[in-house]
Amino acid sequence: MLDRVVIAFSWISAVIIVGAVCAIFGHIILNGAGTIKLSLIFGDVAPLDALLLKRQVLNGLFPAVIGTLLLILISVMWAVPLGLGTGIYLAEYAGAISKKIFNLFFDILAGIPSIVIGLFGFALAIFLHKNVSNNIGPCLLISSMALAFLVLPYIIRTTQVALEELPREMRLTALALGATRLQNIRHVLLPRALSGITTGVILAIGRCAEDTAVILLTGVVAMAGIPHSLMGSYEALPFYIYYISSQYTSPEELLTGYGASLILLVLCIGLFSAAFLIQKRLTYITLYRA
Amino acid sequence: MSPTREYLYEKGFLFSAILSGSIVFLIFAFMLIMGLPLFKGNQVVALIKNDWLPARGVYGIYPMVVATLAISFFSLALAFPLSLGCAFFSGSIAPPRIARVFRKMIQIMTGIPTVIYGFVGIFLLVPIVREFTTSTSGLCIFSASLMLGIMISPTLILFFTDSLEAVPKSFLDAADALGATRVQKLLYVMVPQAKKGILAGLILALGRALGDTMVALMIAGNAARVPESLFDAARTLTAHIALVIAADYESFEFRSIFACGLVLYAFIALMVLGVRWIGMTNKR
Amino acid sequence: MKKQLVLMMVAGLMGCMFWTQGMVLAGSLDAFKNEKGTIKVAGGTAHIPVMKEAAKQIMTVNSDIQITIAGGGSGVGIKQVGEGLVDIGNSGRKPTDEEIAKYGLKPVQWAIDGVAIVINPKNIIRKLTGTQVKDIFAGKIDNWKQVGGEDKAVSLYTRDEASGTREVFWEKGLGKGEISSKANVVVSNGAMKTAVAQDPYAIGYVSVGHLDQSVAPVSFDGVEPTLESVKSGKYPIARGLYSMTKGEPKGLAKKLIGFLFSPEGQKIISEKGFIPVQ
Repeated sequence: MLDRVVIAFSWISAVIIVGAVCAIFGHIILNGAGTIKLSLIFGDVAPLDALLLKRQVLNGLFPAVIGTLLLILISVMWAVPLGLGTGIYLAEYAGAISKKIFNLFFDILAGIPSIVIGLFGFALAIFLHKNVSNNIGPCLLISSMALAFLVLPYIIRTTQVALEELPREMRLTALALGATRLQNIRHVLLPRALSGITTGVILAIGRCAEDTAVILLTGVVAMAGIPHSLMGSYEALPFYIYYISSQYTSPEELLTGYGASLILLVLCIGLFSAAFLIQKRLTYITLYRA
Repeated sequence: MSPTREYLYEKGFLFSAILSGSIVFLIFAFMLIMGLPLFKGNQVVALIKNDWLPARGVYGIYPMVVATLAISFFSLALAFPLSLGCAFFSGSIAPPRIARVFRKMIQIMTGIPTVIYGFVGIFLLVPIVREFTTSTSGLCIFSASLMLGIMISPTLILFFTDSLEAVPKSFLDAADALGATRVQKLLYVMVPQAKKGILAGLILALGRALGDTMVALMIAGNAARVPESLFDAARTLTAHIALVIAADYESFEFRSIFACGLVLYAFIALMVLGVRWIGMTNKR
Repeated sequence: MKKQLVLMMVAGLMGCMFWTQGMVLAGSLDAFKNEKGTIKVAGGTAHIPVMKEAAKQIMTVNSDIQITIAGGGSGVGIKQVGEGLVDIGNSGRKPTDEEIAKYGLKPVQWAIDGVAIVINPKNIIRKLTGTQVKDIFAGKIDNWKQVGGEDKAVSLYTRDEASGTREVFWEKGLGKGEISSKANVVVSNGAMKTAVAQDPYAIGYVSVGHLDQSVAPVSFDGVEPTLESVKSGKYPIARGLYSMTKGEPKGLAKKLIGFLFSPEGQKIISEKGFIPVQ
């Protein structure tokens, strides 16, 4: 009897979740697939002209796509060196106590809601504006820094775990042969841990692409074109989706929201699947360390 | 490689660790400093227990605290049984091939952007809720909890499945030898072993639900009052930050969103400590 | 030879077409030639359609100019321009004397706009008295039956605190009466329209410029919210749309505001449903 109840319960749960996934995907794909054309991205501008920045795209997603790509690129540029260094320090150099303290810090950092990080970015921008330079305000630079803080824990975590999980013998062989600690890390351990580290970076990219709350407070706007500098405002795909969802003025405009959703969905799912392909226990690693 | 270089690299790594660690402090410090004017006199108490009535100059965040807790607990109440069932399914009940496909799908689900959950919530879920419940607008705690529940489920499922599968094979072999059925093995061997992992996953998922902004902002209705039923519109702390960020930089109103930030920060820190504590007892 | 001639003619014709097209586009947009740089605009959400269209026209003739437009509401517009975070702040209410003095703002009014009370087109109600509106928004009337409609609960929509539309509606539509805290809160005129269009028992308020088929305007004390009634002053819930700079406008910001007063600018303003001010 109990057996049957448990089995039925499991199947029902599975069916519900599969149904929910199908509903979400189905809704976006059914409405969005028809909009996927070059004109969705480039409007009435020739794609080559847009890509070469000869003409500004005013009726397409191009600025939002470029904004999102720039955000990813700059955020990752901040986060990867810092995260890698921190991960290496924690795995290879830190003593037991400092490791414990640092782990606690990064657990908290990983848990801080993205809107709070966004609020921090906003407060920082205002602070810098008042005390450092009038030219600083919410902008691409501030957003990318705030996003870097958001994804930093992923990179630290995956780097640290990838290094710690390497077998002891591997760790000792090079040292026994006279290599220094740094040489050992650089030539033996890091190459072996590369796949683990890569998952962290991919995951970070995915989070940068999808996060809306951070950029909402730190410089994303409804219309900006391609940002000319780090101090400029920018557009981004997730914000575009949010903006359209509440402010569309015509059914056609709403459809572009579906198109943008589909693009973002494919991008993020591609990234997350790739990360999972490399590291199967990803959720466990990124979320939980005893 | 010269010893100096070796030394410099080590210090470089240490420096990046300190820099990363200091971010946690920096964020906290900024919230505290920006919110500092609130901590004079009895304002803090008023802030936490008052309603949000800007027209009368009353800026309390109590309704938002209540709404945040309500939405996260309801979403967890939906997600927990669902995720447990799914974890049973993928960890033991389902035929291996289906389990593999199922697991892939759940992994893919973790990649769905939050703004998409909100978007689908507005155009698919809200009209249905409006049709079949007492909520006239469809924008309510129920809608937000449902969507949020689905959003946090993949994380929970993967976490649960990983915990279930962490049970040593020898235990399972022993149960097999005693002639246990699949379900008996699951309930009497795997679940007790994975109990702490399940609890930890639950706390972490609660953290995600508390910290979500977009779903609540888009489909919870954002009414700044203490909700009386599941079908009332409500505003979470996170949505409140997103909505009020607009206001005057000097005003009490604006300062109060840093109080929201601090409250969220405190919730999360407590949760992380909780999970660590579970982890510590686990080792013993 | 013939072929070449035809080709030349075609080329010449196309050249002419481009040239004349260029001529049409020029005029007031000439001011932006040989300019370079960015203008940041933020604030009132009623202004966005006009600002976007103006920006598009300007950026089409000169792609070296970059105009960024953000919403946020009138409060945000005033604060951000005052703090120097943006070049032009938009506001759907006149900035207070205090605000003007504090930041040294120079507001310019370029349009008149009404705030219309809107409901879902499926709702049969088309007129409400001032008192009824007041009671509905205060939550005292909470069923459409009480004002002669269906036996369905009223679902209230209001704007966030930074909204100039809310400010004007609250002052002139509700006589500074209370807005029930039960009301759903949306963050822009566009969002308000979307929400009311989707909810059959909704009531909310939007800028007259945002009115279209998707929502039904309600007459207020017997006066329909139309461009004419707003213009003539018969419709009481009206306001100006302002853009402002910190100190005297200069450079590109000056030109952008100037553009709004040019014939092309005025055309955009009327096309978007507002009454341009000379």
